[in-house]
Amino acid sequence: MVTKSDTEPVQVEIFPQRFLKPATAQRLLEEIYKSGGILRIMVQGPNLPRAVPYGPGKGIPIEEHMNMLLELGDQALELRVKVGRIWLELDNEERIEEVKAACERVLPYTFSIKRKQLFHTKPTVSDYAKYGSEVEDKRILGLVDPKAKRERDLAILSDTGGDA
Amino acid sequence: MAYKPQYYPGTTSVGVNRRKHMSGDLEKLRDLSDADVVTIMGHRAPGSDYPSTHPPLAEMGEPDCPIRQLVTPTPGAAAGDRIRYSQFADSMYNAPAIPYFRSYWGAINCRGCDPGTLSGRQIIEARERDIEQYTKVQMDSEMTDPALATMRGCTVHGHSLRLDEDGMMFDMLARTELGSDGNVYYVKDQVGIPLDRKVNAGKPMSDAETKKRTTIFRCDNISFGGPCTAEKRTLDEGLITLHHMWERRSKWGFRPE
Repeated sequence: MVTKSDTEPVQVEIFPQRFLKPATAQRLLEEIYKSGGILRIMVQGPNLPRAVPYGPGKGIPIEEHMNMLLELGDQALELRVKVGRIWLELDNEERIEEVKAACERVLPYTFSIKRKQLFHTKPTVSDYAKYGSEVEDKRILGLVDPKAKRERDLAILSDTGGDA
Repeated sequence: MAYKPQYYPGTTSVGVNRRKHMSGDLEKLRDLSDADVVTIMGHRAPGSDYPSTHPPLAEMGEPDCPIRQLVTPTPGAAAGDRIRYSQFADSMYNAPAIPYFRSYWGAINCRGCDPGTLSGRQIIEARERDIEQYTKVQMDSEMTDPALATMRGCTVHGHSLRLDEDGMMFDMLARTELGSDGNVYYVKDQVGIPLDRKVNAGKPMSDAETKKRTTIFRCDNISFGGPCTAEKRTLDEGLITLHHMWERRSKWGFRPE
Protein backbone atom coordinates (compact mmCIF):
# COMPACT_ATOMS: atom_id res chain seq x y z
CA MET A 1 0.00 0.00 0.00
CA VAL A 2 2.64 2.50 -0.96
CA THR A 3 2.48 3.96 -4.41
CA LYS A 4 0.25 6.72 -5.68
CA SER A 5 -0.50 6.63 -9.38
CA ASP A 6 -2.80 8.24 -11.94
CA THR A 7 -3.11 5.10 -14.05
CA GLU A 8 -5.79 2.46 -13.69
CA PRO A 9 -4.78 -0.14 -11.09
CA VAL A 10 -4.87 -3.86 -11.93
CA GLN A 11 -5.26 -6.86 -9.66
CA VAL A 12 -3.46 -10.17 -10.13
CA GLU A 13 -3.38 -13.46 -8.34
CA ILE A 14 -0.18 -15.48 -8.03
CA PHE A 15 -0.99 -19.15 -7.56
CA PRO A 16 2.06 -21.40 -7.10
CA GLN A 17 1.84 -25.12 -7.78
CA ARG A 18 2.99 -25.86 -4.23
CA PHE A 19 2.73 -24.14 -0.86
CA LEU A 20 5.63 -21.80 -0.18
CA LYS A 21 8.03 -22.10 2.71
CA PRO A 22 8.18 -18.90 4.78
CA ALA A 23 11.66 -18.12 3.42
CA THR A 24 10.49 -18.47 -0.20
CA ALA A 25 7.42 -16.33 0.47
CA GLN A 26 9.66 -13.70 2.05
CA ARG A 27 12.03 -13.69 -0.95
CA LEU A 28 9.16 -13.50 -3.42
CA LEU A 29 7.47 -10.60 -1.67
CA GLU A 30 10.79 -8.75 -1.42
CA GLU A 31 11.36 -9.18 -5.15
CA ILE A 32 7.85 -8.00 -5.98
CA TYR A 33 8.11 -5.09 -3.60
CA LYS A 34 11.44 -4.07 -5.11
CA SER A 35 9.94 -3.87 -8.57
CA GLY A 36 7.56 -1.19 -7.24
CA GLY A 37 4.03 -0.14 -8.09
CA ILE A 38 2.40 -2.14 -5.32
CA LEU A 39 -0.86 -0.76 -3.96
CA ARG A 40 -2.04 -3.74 -1.94
CA ILE A 41 -0.72 -7.19 -1.07
CA MET A 42 -2.66 -10.05 0.49
CA VAL A 43 -1.25 -13.47 1.34
CA GLN A 44 -3.60 -16.37 1.85
CA GLY A 45 -3.34 -20.05 2.72
CA PRO A 46 -4.31 -22.66 5.29
CA ASN A 47 -4.04 -21.62 8.91
CA LEU A 48 -0.98 -22.61 10.93
CA PRO A 49 -2.22 -22.86 14.51
CA ARG A 50 0.03 -21.94 17.43
CA ALA A 51 -1.28 -24.87 19.51
CA VAL A 52 -2.93 -28.22 18.83
CA PRO A 53 -6.62 -27.30 18.45
CA TYR A 54 -8.33 -30.66 19.08
CA GLY A 55 -7.86 -34.06 20.62
CA PRO A 56 -5.81 -35.42 23.49
CA GLY A 57 -2.95 -33.02 22.71
CA LYS A 58 -5.17 -29.93 22.77
CA GLY A 59 -3.26 -26.84 23.84
CA ILE A 60 0.26 -28.21 23.25
CA PRO A 61 2.28 -25.47 21.52
CA ILE A 62 3.40 -26.13 17.93
CA GLU A 63 6.97 -24.84 17.98
CA GLU A 64 7.38 -25.15 14.20
CA HIS A 65 4.80 -22.40 13.69
CA MET A 66 6.23 -19.90 16.15
CA ASN A 67 8.17 -16.76 15.31
CA MET A 68 7.67 -16.76 11.56
CA LEU A 69 7.91 -13.21 10.32
CA LEU A 70 7.23 -11.61 6.96
CA GLU A 71 9.35 -8.51 6.72
CA LEU A 72 8.62 -6.04 3.99
CA GLY A 73 9.77 -2.45 3.73
CA ASP A 74 9.65 -0.94 7.18
CA GLN A 75 7.08 -3.39 8.54
CA ALA A 76 7.02 -6.93 9.88
CA LEU A 77 3.99 -9.19 10.16
CA GLU A 78 3.72 -12.50 11.98
CA LEU A 79 3.08 -15.17 9.37
CA ARG A 80 0.07 -17.20 10.47
CA VAL A 81 -0.70 -19.11 7.27
CA LYS A 82 1.07 -21.42 4.85
CA VAL A 83 1.41 -19.16 1.84
CA GLY A 84 -0.52 -20.63 -1.06
CA ARG A 85 -1.89 -17.60 -2.88
CA ILE A 86 -0.87 -13.98 -3.21
CA TRP A 87 -3.16 -11.21 -4.37
CA LEU A 88 -1.63 -8.00 -5.61
CA GLU A 89 -3.00 -4.67 -6.66
CA LEU A 90 -0.58 -2.94 -9.00
CA ASP A 91 -0.67 0.62 -10.17
CA ASN A 92 -0.75 -0.26 -13.85
CA GLU A 93 -0.86 -3.15 -16.28
CA GLU A 94 2.80 -2.98 -17.22
CA ARG A 95 3.80 -4.05 -13.73
CA ILE A 96 2.41 -7.54 -14.36
CA GLU A 97 5.44 -8.51 -16.42
CA GLU A 98 7.74 -7.42 -13.60
CA VAL A 99 5.77 -9.52 -11.13
CA LYS A 100 5.98 -12.46 -13.48
CA ALA A 101 9.74 -12.04 -13.77
CA ALA A 102 10.07 -11.90 -9.98
CA CYS A 103 8.06 -15.15 -9.68
CA GLU A 104 10.25 -16.84 -12.27
CA ARG A 105 13.37 -15.81 -10.37
CA VAL A 106 12.18 -17.01 -6.96
CA LEU A 107 9.61 -19.78 -7.25
CA PRO A 108 11.03 -23.30 -7.53
CA TYR A 109 7.81 -24.66 -9.07
CA THR A 110 5.43 -23.59 -11.77
CA PHE A 111 2.85 -20.95 -11.00
CA SER A 112 0.01 -19.13 -12.63
CA ILE A 113 -0.66 -15.42 -12.69
CA LYS A 114 -4.22 -14.38 -13.42
CA ARG A 115 -5.57 -10.91 -13.78
CA LYS A 116 -9.02 -10.47 -12.30
CA GLN A 117 -11.10 -8.43 -9.87
CA LEU A 118 -10.00 -9.79 -6.49
CA PHE A 119 -10.69 -7.26 -3.77
CA HIS A 120 -14.30 -6.24 -3.36
CA THR A 121 -15.15 -2.65 -4.06
CA LYS A 122 -18.21 -2.07 -1.91
CA PRO A 123 -18.43 -2.71 1.85
CA THR A 124 -20.10 -6.02 2.70
CA VAL A 125 -22.29 -6.67 5.73
CA SER A 126 -19.19 -7.99 7.52
CA ASP A 127 -17.34 -4.77 6.66
CA TYR A 128 -20.26 -2.79 8.03
CA ALA A 129 -20.15 -4.78 11.26
CA LYS A 130 -16.39 -4.35 11.53
CA TYR A 131 -15.79 -0.81 10.33
CA GLY A 132 -19.20 0.89 10.59
CA SER A 133 -21.01 2.78 7.85
CA GLU A 134 -18.03 4.92 6.88
CA VAL A 135 -14.88 3.08 5.85
CA GLU A 136 -12.00 5.44 6.45
CA ASP A 137 -9.61 3.94 3.89
CA LYS A 138 -11.37 1.97 1.14
CA ARG A 139 -8.16 0.08 0.34
CA ILE A 140 -8.81 -2.03 3.41
CA LEU A 141 -11.89 -3.62 1.78
CA GLY A 142 -11.23 -7.27 1.01
CA LEU A 143 -7.70 -7.08 2.34
CA VAL A 144 -8.24 -9.00 5.57
CA ASP A 145 -10.93 -11.45 6.56
CA PRO A 146 -13.65 -10.37 8.99
CA LYS A 147 -12.07 -12.06 12.01
CA ALA A 148 -8.62 -10.56 11.43
CA LYS A 149 -7.18 -8.12 13.90
CA ARG A 150 -6.02 -4.94 12.26
CA GLU A 151 -2.94 -4.47 14.42
CA ARG A 152 -1.89 -8.12 14.03
CA ASP A 153 -2.76 -8.98 10.43
CA LEU A 154 -2.44 -5.72 8.54
CA ALA A 155 0.57 -3.51 7.88
CA ILE A 156 0.69 -0.17 6.13
CA LEU A 157 3.99 0.45 4.40
CA SER A 158 5.40 3.92 4.05
CA ASP A 159 5.33 5.74 0.71
CA THR A 160 9.11 5.68 0.58
CA GLY A 161 9.29 1.92 0.07
CA GLY A 162 9.15 0.19 -3.33
CA ASP A 163 9.96 1.90 -6.63
CA ALA A 164 13.57 1.79 -5.55
CA MET B 1 -12.37 -75.20 -9.83
CA ALA B 2 -11.86 -73.18 -6.68
CA TYR B 3 -13.45 -69.75 -6.70
CA LYS B 4 -10.96 -66.92 -7.15
CA PRO B 5 -12.19 -63.49 -6.12
CA GLN B 6 -11.78 -60.84 -8.82
CA TYR B 7 -12.10 -57.88 -6.44
CA TYR B 8 -12.11 -55.02 -8.94
CA PRO B 9 -12.52 -54.55 -12.69
CA GLY B 10 -10.35 -52.62 -15.11
CA THR B 11 -7.14 -53.04 -17.03
CA THR B 12 -5.36 -49.83 -16.01
CA SER B 13 -2.54 -49.74 -13.47
CA VAL B 14 -5.02 -48.11 -11.09
CA GLY B 15 -7.34 -51.08 -11.47
CA VAL B 16 -4.43 -53.47 -10.86
CA ASN B 17 -3.36 -51.53 -7.74
CA ARG B 18 -6.91 -51.47 -6.42
CA ARG B 19 -7.07 -55.25 -6.81
CA LYS B 20 -3.76 -55.56 -4.96
CA HIS B 21 -5.00 -53.46 -2.06
CA MET B 22 -8.26 -55.35 -1.80
CA SER B 23 -6.67 -58.78 -2.02
CA GLY B 24 -3.97 -57.90 0.52
CA ASP B 25 -1.29 -59.05 -1.93
CA LEU B 26 0.90 -56.04 -1.12
CA GLU B 27 4.54 -55.42 -1.73
CA LYS B 28 6.53 -54.73 1.42
CA LEU B 29 8.74 -51.69 0.89
CA ARG B 30 10.13 -50.93 4.35
CA ASP B 31 10.29 -52.43 7.81
CA LEU B 32 9.31 -50.26 10.74
CA SER B 33 9.85 -51.81 14.13
CA ASP B 34 6.84 -52.64 16.29
CA ALA B 35 8.03 -50.07 18.83
CA ASP B 36 8.10 -47.36 16.15
CA VAL B 37 4.55 -48.09 15.06
CA VAL B 38 3.35 -48.11 18.69
CA THR B 39 5.17 -44.81 19.31
CA ILE B 40 3.49 -43.09 16.36
CA MET B 41 0.08 -44.43 17.32
CA GLY B 42 0.53 -43.01 20.82
CA HIS B 43 -1.97 -45.21 22.66
CA ARG B 44 0.57 -46.87 24.97
CA ALA B 45 4.29 -46.70 25.66
CA PRO B 46 6.29 -49.25 23.63
CA GLY B 47 7.01 -52.30 25.75
CA SER B 48 4.31 -51.58 28.31
CA ASP B 49 1.52 -54.03 29.09
CA TYR B 50 -1.71 -53.92 27.15
CA PRO B 51 -4.46 -52.43 29.33
CA SER B 52 -7.60 -54.58 29.15
CA THR B 53 -11.32 -54.00 29.33
CA HIS B 54 -12.23 -57.55 30.31
CA PRO B 55 -10.44 -60.70 31.49
CA PRO B 56 -9.03 -63.06 28.82
CA LEU B 57 -11.83 -64.98 27.13
CA ALA B 58 -10.35 -68.29 28.32
CA GLU B 59 -10.89 -67.21 31.93
CA MET B 60 -14.33 -65.74 31.39
CA GLY B 61 -16.22 -68.93 30.68
CA GLU B 62 -18.07 -68.05 27.52
CA PRO B 63 -21.69 -69.13 26.99
CA ASP B 64 -22.44 -72.10 24.81
CA CYS B 65 -22.77 -70.42 21.41
CA PRO B 66 -22.30 -72.04 17.97
CA ILE B 67 -20.90 -68.81 16.51
CA ARG B 68 -18.28 -68.52 19.23
CA GLN B 69 -17.32 -72.12 18.54
CA LEU B 70 -16.98 -71.39 14.83
CA VAL B 71 -15.04 -68.14 15.04
CA THR B 72 -11.60 -68.08 16.60
CA PRO B 73 -11.14 -64.81 18.48
CA THR B 74 -8.36 -62.47 17.34
CA PRO B 75 -5.35 -62.26 19.72
CA GLY B 76 -6.58 -58.88 20.96
CA ALA B 77 -10.11 -60.10 21.62
CA ALA B 78 -8.81 -63.26 23.33
CA ALA B 79 -6.68 -61.15 25.67
CA GLY B 80 -9.43 -58.60 26.38
CA ASP B 81 -7.60 -55.56 24.92
CA ARG B 82 -9.07 -52.10 24.63
CA ILE B 83 -10.40 -50.90 21.26
CA ARG B 84 -7.92 -48.47 19.72
CA TYR B 85 -7.55 -46.84 16.31
CA SER B 86 -5.17 -45.65 13.66
CA GLN B 87 -6.18 -43.11 11.07
CA PHE B 88 -4.46 -42.12 7.84
CA ALA B 89 -4.80 -39.12 5.59
CA ASP B 90 -3.78 -39.67 1.95
CA SER B 91 -2.92 -36.86 -0.43
CA MET B 92 -4.93 -36.53 -3.61
CA TYR B 93 -1.59 -36.05 -5.40
CA ASN B 94 -1.21 -39.70 -6.32
CA ALA B 95 -1.00 -41.15 -2.82
CA PRO B 96 -0.83 -44.94 -3.07
CA ALA B 97 -4.01 -45.55 -1.07
CA ILE B 98 -7.29 -43.72 -0.72
CA PRO B 99 -9.86 -44.06 2.05
CA TYR B 100 -12.12 -46.48 0.17
CA PHE B 101 -9.32 -48.88 -0.62
CA ARG B 102 -7.85 -48.75 2.87
CA SER B 103 -11.35 -49.70 4.03
CA TYR B 104 -11.71 -52.48 1.48
CA TRP B 105 -8.29 -53.76 2.54
CA GLY B 106 -9.31 -53.64 6.21
CA ALA B 107 -12.72 -55.19 5.74
CA ILE B 108 -11.44 -58.03 3.56
CA ASN B 109 -8.09 -58.78 5.17
CA CYS B 110 -8.24 -57.77 8.83
CA ARG B 111 -10.30 -59.74 11.30
CA GLY B 112 -12.24 -57.99 14.00
CA CYS B 113 -11.78 -54.46 12.69
CA ASP B 114 -14.13 -51.59 12.01
CA PRO B 115 -13.03 -49.43 9.08
CA GLY B 116 -14.46 -45.95 8.78
CA THR B 117 -14.31 -44.22 5.42
CA LEU B 118 -14.33 -40.45 5.16
CA SER B 119 -13.57 -38.08 2.31
CA GLY B 120 -9.95 -37.30 3.15
CA ARG B 121 -9.05 -39.75 5.89
CA GLN B 122 -9.67 -43.31 6.89
CA ILE B 123 -9.80 -44.83 10.35
CA ILE B 124 -9.61 -48.46 11.42
CA GLU B 125 -10.62 -49.49 14.93
CA ALA B 126 -9.76 -52.83 16.45
CA ARG B 127 -8.44 -54.45 19.62
CA GLU B 128 -5.13 -52.85 20.56
CA ARG B 129 -2.68 -55.59 19.63
CA ASP B 130 -4.64 -56.28 16.43
CA ILE B 131 -4.69 -52.66 15.29
CA GLU B 132 -0.96 -52.37 15.93
CA GLN B 133 -0.37 -55.27 13.60
CA TYR B 134 -2.75 -53.91 10.94
CA THR B 135 -1.15 -50.47 11.15
CA LYS B 136 2.31 -51.93 10.70
CA VAL B 137 1.19 -53.71 7.54
CA GLN B 138 -0.13 -50.41 6.18
CA MET B 139 3.01 -48.48 7.03
CA ASP B 140 5.41 -51.13 5.75
CA SER B 141 3.69 -51.86 2.47
CA GLU B 142 3.05 -50.04 -0.77
CA MET B 143 -0.19 -48.70 0.71
CA THR B 144 1.80 -45.89 2.27
CA ASP B 145 4.17 -43.30 0.91
CA PRO B 146 5.52 -41.49 3.99
CA ALA B 147 5.41 -38.12 2.21
CA LEU B 148 1.87 -38.46 0.84
CA ALA B 149 0.21 -40.49 3.59
CA THR B 150 0.48 -39.62 7.26
CA MET B 151 -1.02 -41.15 10.37
CA ARG B 152 -3.26 -38.40 11.70
CA GLY B 153 -5.59 -39.02 14.60
CA CYS B 154 -6.94 -35.48 14.59
CA THR B 155 -6.58 -32.27 12.57
CA VAL B 156 -6.27 -34.32 9.41
CA HIS B 157 -6.49 -31.44 6.92
CA GLY B 158 -4.17 -32.10 3.96
CA HIS B 159 -5.73 -34.59 1.54
CA SER B 160 -7.02 -32.02 -0.94
CA LEU B 161 -4.38 -29.32 -0.45
CA ARG B 162 -1.34 -28.61 -2.56
CA LEU B 163 1.89 -30.22 -1.40
CA ASP B 164 4.63 -28.34 0.40
CA GLU B 165 7.71 -27.25 -1.52
CA ASP B 166 9.57 -30.39 -0.41
CA GLY B 167 6.80 -32.69 -1.67
CA MET B 168 5.28 -33.43 1.75
CA MET B 169 1.52 -33.32 2.29
CA PHE B 170 0.47 -30.21 4.23
CA ASP B 171 0.11 -30.89 7.95
CA MET B 172 -1.31 -28.27 10.27
CA LEU B 173 0.33 -29.94 13.28
CA ALA B 174 3.75 -30.53 11.64
CA ARG B 175 3.81 -34.19 12.67
CA THR B 176 6.31 -35.23 10.02
CA GLU B 177 9.40 -33.65 8.55
CA LEU B 178 11.72 -34.46 5.69
CA GLY B 179 15.17 -35.14 7.13
CA SER B 180 18.43 -34.10 5.50
CA ASP B 181 19.10 -37.79 4.77
CA GLY B 182 15.99 -37.94 2.56
CA ASN B 183 13.90 -39.93 5.05
CA VAL B 184 10.57 -38.80 6.47
CA TYR B 185 10.54 -38.62 10.26
CA TYR B 186 7.60 -38.52 12.63
CA VAL B 187 8.38 -35.94 15.31
CA LYS B 188 4.92 -36.15 16.87
CA ASP B 189 2.44 -38.95 17.41
CA GLN B 190 -0.80 -39.15 15.44
CA VAL B 191 -2.56 -36.58 17.64
CA GLY B 192 0.27 -34.03 17.64
CA ILE B 193 2.00 -34.82 20.95
CA PRO B 194 5.78 -34.42 20.53
CA LEU B 195 7.81 -37.66 20.65
CA ASP B 196 10.95 -38.20 22.71
CA ARG B 197 12.75 -39.41 19.60
CA LYS B 198 12.18 -39.05 15.89
CA VAL B 199 10.76 -42.10 14.17
CA ASN B 200 12.02 -42.90 10.70
CA ALA B 201 9.11 -43.74 8.38
CA GLY B 202 11.26 -44.34 5.31
CA LYS B 203 12.05 -42.57 2.07
CA PRO B 204 9.32 -40.90 0.01
CA MET B 205 8.53 -42.40 -3.37
CA SER B 206 9.59 -40.62 -6.52
CA ASP B 207 6.96 -38.97 -8.73
CA ALA B 208 7.19 -41.82 -11.22
CA GLU B 209 6.80 -44.36 -8.42
CA THR B 210 3.70 -42.70 -6.96
CA LYS B 211 2.12 -42.51 -10.41
CA LYS B 212 2.78 -46.22 -10.84
CA ARG B 213 1.47 -47.29 -7.42
CA THR B 214 -1.50 -44.97 -6.95
CA THR B 215 -5.10 -46.13 -6.67
CA ILE B 216 -6.35 -42.69 -7.69
CA PHE B 217 -7.67 -41.97 -11.16
CA ARG B 218 -6.42 -38.54 -12.19
CA CYS B 219 -6.54 -36.67 -15.46
CA ASP B 220 -2.81 -35.97 -15.26
CA ASN B 221 -1.94 -39.63 -14.72
CA ILE B 222 -4.34 -42.51 -15.44
CA SER B 223 -7.82 -41.21 -16.05
CA PHE B 224 -11.11 -43.09 -16.18
CA GLY B 225 -11.44 -42.68 -19.92
CA GLY B 226 -8.40 -41.05 -21.47
CA PRO B 227 -7.75 -37.30 -21.57
CA CYS B 228 -10.76 -35.21 -20.59
CA THR B 229 -10.35 -33.17 -23.76
CA ALA B 230 -10.33 -36.16 -26.15
CA GLU B 231 -13.09 -36.26 -28.73
CA LYS B 232 -13.92 -39.85 -27.97
CA ARG B 233 -13.18 -41.31 -24.57
CA THR B 234 -12.59 -44.99 -24.00
CA LEU B 235 -14.01 -45.69 -20.59
CA ASP B 236 -12.18 -47.99 -18.23
CA GLU B 237 -14.03 -51.15 -17.24
CA GLY B 238 -14.03 -49.81 -13.68
CA LEU B 239 -16.11 -46.83 -14.72
CA ILE B 240 -18.48 -48.92 -16.81
CA THR B 241 -19.03 -51.16 -13.79
CA LEU B 242 -19.56 -48.14 -11.58
CA HIS B 243 -22.15 -46.76 -14.02
CA HIS B 244 -23.82 -50.14 -14.12
CA MET B 245 -24.02 -50.31 -10.31
CA TRP B 246 -25.23 -46.73 -10.11
CA GLU B 247 -27.93 -47.35 -12.66
CA ARG B 248 -29.16 -50.54 -10.98
CA ARG B 249 -29.03 -48.99 -7.54
CA SER B 250 -30.89 -45.91 -8.69
CA LYS B 251 -33.56 -47.80 -10.56
CA TRP B 252 -34.21 -50.79 -8.36
CA GLY B 253 -32.11 -50.55 -5.30
CA PHE B 254 -28.72 -52.25 -5.12
CA ARG B 255 -29.46 -55.94 -4.71
CA PRO B 256 -26.55 -58.09 -5.85
CA GLU B 257 -27.85 -61.66 -6.12
